[in-house]
Amino acid sequence: MSTHHIICFGNELHGDDGFGARIYAQLCQLTWTKDVEVFNAGIAGLNALRFFEDCSQAILVDALANFGNVGEVCLLRPEDLADRPEQLTGHGQGLPYLLEAIKVIREPLPDILIVGVEIAAVTPFSPGLSDKTEQAVSKTVQLIRGLLSE
Amino acid sequence: MARRTIQIDLNRVEGDLDFQLELEDNKVVDARCIGSLYRGFEQILLSRKPKDSLVITPRICGICGTAQLNAAVLALEHIGHIPVPPAAIRIRNLCLMAETVQSDLRQSFMFFTADFCHSKYVDRPFYEKARTAFLPFKGWVHRGALEHSRHIVEIIALFGGQWPHSSYMLPGGVTTPASNRHIIDSLSILNKLTRWFEQAIIGTDLDSWLAIQSADEFFTWLTAKDAHADSAIGLFTLISRDIGLQHVGFGTPHMISYGAYDDPDDAGTFSGQRKHLFRAGFLNGDTGDVEPFEQAEITEHVRYSWFQPYSGGRHPFQGQTIPDYQPHSDRYTWCKAPRYQNKVVQTGPLADALIDGEPLIRSLYQAEGGNAWLRQFARLHRTARLLHKMRETLHELAAHPNDPHMIPPNEKEIPDGEGFGLVTAARGALGHWVQITDGVISRYQVVTPTAWNASPKDSEGRHGHWESSLLGLTVEDPDDPVEIGHIIRSHDPCLVCTVHVLDTGKPMTVWP
Repeated sequence: MSTHHIICFGNELHGDDGFGARIYAQLCQLTWTKDVEVFNAGIAGLNALRFFEDCSQAILVDALANFGNVGEVCLLRPEDLADRPEQLTGHGQGLPYLLEAIKVIREPLPDILIVGVEIAAVTPFSPGLSDKTEQAVSKTVQLIRGLLSE
Repeated sequence: MARRTIQIDLNRVEGDLDFQLELEDNKVVDARCIGSLYRGFEQILLSRKPKDSLVITPRICGICGTAQLNAAVLALEHIGHIPVPPAAIRIRNLCLMAETVQSDLRQSFMFFTADFCHSKYVDRPFYEKARTAFLPFKGWVHRGALEHSRHIVEIIALFGGQWPHSSYMLPGGVTTPASNRHIIDSLSILNKLTRWFEQAIIGTDLDSWLAIQSADEFFTWLTAKDAHADSAIGLFTLISRDIGLQHVGFGTPHMISYGAYDDPDDAGTFSGQRKHLFRAGFLNGDTGDVEPFEQAEITEHVRYSWFQPYSGGRHPFQGQTIPDYQPHSDRYTWCKAPRYQNKVVQTGPLADALIDGEPLIRSLYQAEGGNAWLRQFARLHRTARLLHKMRETLHELAAHPNDPHMIPPNEKEIPDGEGFGLVTAARGALGHWVQITDGVISRYQVVTPTAWNASPKDSEGRHGHWESSLLGLTVEDPDDPVEIGHIIRSHDPCLVCTVHVLDTGKPMTVWP
């Protein structure tokens, strides 16, 4: 049974909002141990609750706004989002809402970490990341690998 | 006379539905429902092989993908005169019901009733009870709905391999038979949800609830026991009526239903002729009569939409969906304006129940009309009916263990021609119209339930149903118009599952 789930969020059709999907594609190129599973949650909303089952740790990957400079990679815990439910871009309050929902249906909670990048812009129907966001991809993948090797 | 325009972002997730309202002395005098996202599935499907629609159209929506798949496969079977065995119809119905049950429970208790916890009501006697029951992630009903609604679509995964966006319906049937294991697992999922529904939502057993036949019986039942008044539907009803939702949100009196769930005993017929378990029809709001439904009476207008103009309305078989964004004109939406018999109509569970002749909903409608409370109540009443019908369907499948789930079509490809598939999705009437020329799709028109309800004005300048349901409404605080949230939510706006309207006081653009 896998115990570490990496769950990537975002819409690859909308510019930098596709950051999570881009990371998912990169992670799929790598070899993982049996206790790691990678999911592309896209814009699944509440349907993403399923990805939190049967894991002791969930690493969520998403685009961020107002957490730092563009291209900056951030490592957050759920409590870091608690007082800024409107700050995430891409799916509005998608992740905070989901994190509240997971508290209702999952006991005990897995250890949850959020890995994100401060993005330049969500551009509707413009696939592809901006330069600075694209440059953050390899650093993000390294960070995730590091988290799993701890 | 103070006149102002307010713009309300109805969808914080994808930003694809706005309302722009004109107020005079706090009364709504004009309304524009703005669909701000163009998707273009009609273009995506052009020149593709017909069966591609079975993979592409379930992606139209993450909530009603089963309904889209069902409409798509019915259209292909209509074109090819492809018969379907009764077992396949039962499996399709079962999955469609599961999807609707999930949608209705989530819409009711995760989105609609959350507005009762708005600070506007802090001094009302019901406020603490409302928060205890309906406050997001804290209230016992909200938490229960979150937990229990998510399992019912596992039934679709059993038969379809996945949910959402499944493609297990094929011309001639479905991909998987109803094995004993599928039936037992499905019953287990259904039993668990039914028990919670009985205990938490209706405060009584399903059969007793469904035996209530009239408005008088219902209101007597409501106060007969604390368990009834304190059930989720009891609280929802008492609070709704306390704040007057039985007096607002009527909209157009005309309603349509395509009929829900194909009748497996009528498997030998095709789309348009096949009977339904819940009847199709047109409720003529002028006469009060339910008339036979005829899909040829449907047209779509684009006079106020961002599509390449044409005059009047066109039937979907003559329809076109060519985007033509004109932001500085009087056009204001990516939605077309569907009309039936050239009338503005509404669709959804209230329309379905009235047209089917469901006694309790008809009695309540006769007493008070099609108001915001009844529209929402009809949705929850449908959940009870569907839980009952799902059990019946599973028992029917169990009684015919070796029936075929597929009749392989004689021809490998769908022939040239035209056909349509009409189904009842969670939000109402959903139709696909398809034409095939030289082996590929030459026209594909989708008319969704939300297109009917969120329709803009038509060629004759008549407002759509949602717009109509707001005209004349008095808004107590234009900076925080929670009344509008109640009404629009009662229509179950379908854009994404996380639609929230006004409960966070989303800033509005105001032009004095």
